[in-house]
Amino acid sequence: MLSPKRTKYRKQHKGRIHGKATRATELNFGAFGLKALTPERITARQIEAARRAITRHMRRTGKVWIRLFPDVPVSSKPAEVRMGGGKGSPEFWVCRVKPGRIMFEVDGIPRDVARQALTLAAAKLPVRTRFVSRFGEEG
Amino acid sequence: MSDVVTLAAEARPEAGRGGARQARRDGRIPAVIYGNKEPSAMITIPAADLHKHLRQHGFMSRVFEIAVDGKKQRVLPREVQTDPVSGKPIHVDFMRFSATTRIAVEVEVVFQNEAQSAGLKRGGVLNIVQHEVELICTPGEIPQAIYVDLAGMEIGDVVHAEALPLPAGAALAGEPDATIAVIAAPTVETASAEAEEGAGTEAAGSTPAA
Repeated sequence: MLSPKRTKYRKQHKGRIHGKATRATELNFGAFGLKALTPERITARQIEAARRAITRHMRRTGKVWIRLFPDVPVSSKPAEVRMGGGKGSPEFWVCRVKPGRIMFEVDGIPRDVARQALTLAAAKLPVRTRFVSRFGEEG
Repeated sequence: MSDVVTLAAEARPEAGRGGARQARRDGRIPAVIYGNKEPSAMITIPAADLHKHLRQHGFMSRVFEIAVDGKKQRVLPREVQTDPVSGKPIHVDFMRFSATTRIAVEVEVVFQNEAQSAGLKRGGVLNIVQHEVELICTPGEIPQAIYVDLAGMEIGDVVHAEALPLPAGAALAGEPDATIAVIAAPTVETASAEAEEGAGTEAAGSTPAA
């Protein structure tokens, strides 16, 4: 799973996701992609599950680009522990995704295979999504 | 050279956000025409017409003829701003030019004869590195697309920018040895690789350091 090699601080505030994406809103690598339509935190596990769904459906042909990186640590307290005593320990990594973000791109496969692969990936993610393609390649 | 396409346009009297939003509510897309040492002109174009042209290949390398207030001018699209969520166009930049101006324009690369490529027949994968290539040429010399013939190409063969068949008068804007596409070897699916994927890669780096 994806995670940073090292970080400056171990724990971060929860934060809120405001506004629309301003970066990674267009296809820059592949011919087809999966765009997020709602804001959400996406975990490293979810990204990995989506990646596997794509590569399996593509039967390891073509190419996949992951345009997310989970660099926000999320902490939690152990079960049955009273409140207080400081912030819990970091448990997993997430990526904050704003609407409009291209999360995955694929290329080197036919349009129908790409659509099906990205549909399978979308089922693994906690956001509403849309299949996108380059200008002039809309079906 | 690609054909000149006529686009109906109206002058946009009000500048800024309000006028642009009103145009969008009326089913038109705000746009601007600039360049050729003339003052810029604010216009609107019908959203349906723009969508129709955007859905066709090579929008950015197509010369348009836009008539505003009875004055016809030839322009080239330079930028299309889109809404990040819906993907619909919200503004277009057009640039005027003179017949002798040499401009940088991105032209689509189209791959042909995939069925006659020995490498692709044997299971190779066409990995396209650059979907467009930047050319420097006069507006009259802009090709509709650059066609790459894949016939006879084997696995491992690379198409470099310098090998592209360019029309007379056009020159490459980027590096001549830039890779346009590669015929890559197929990934052989082995039982061990499948098992490895099934087992997962959770051992390393899955949990932030406690």
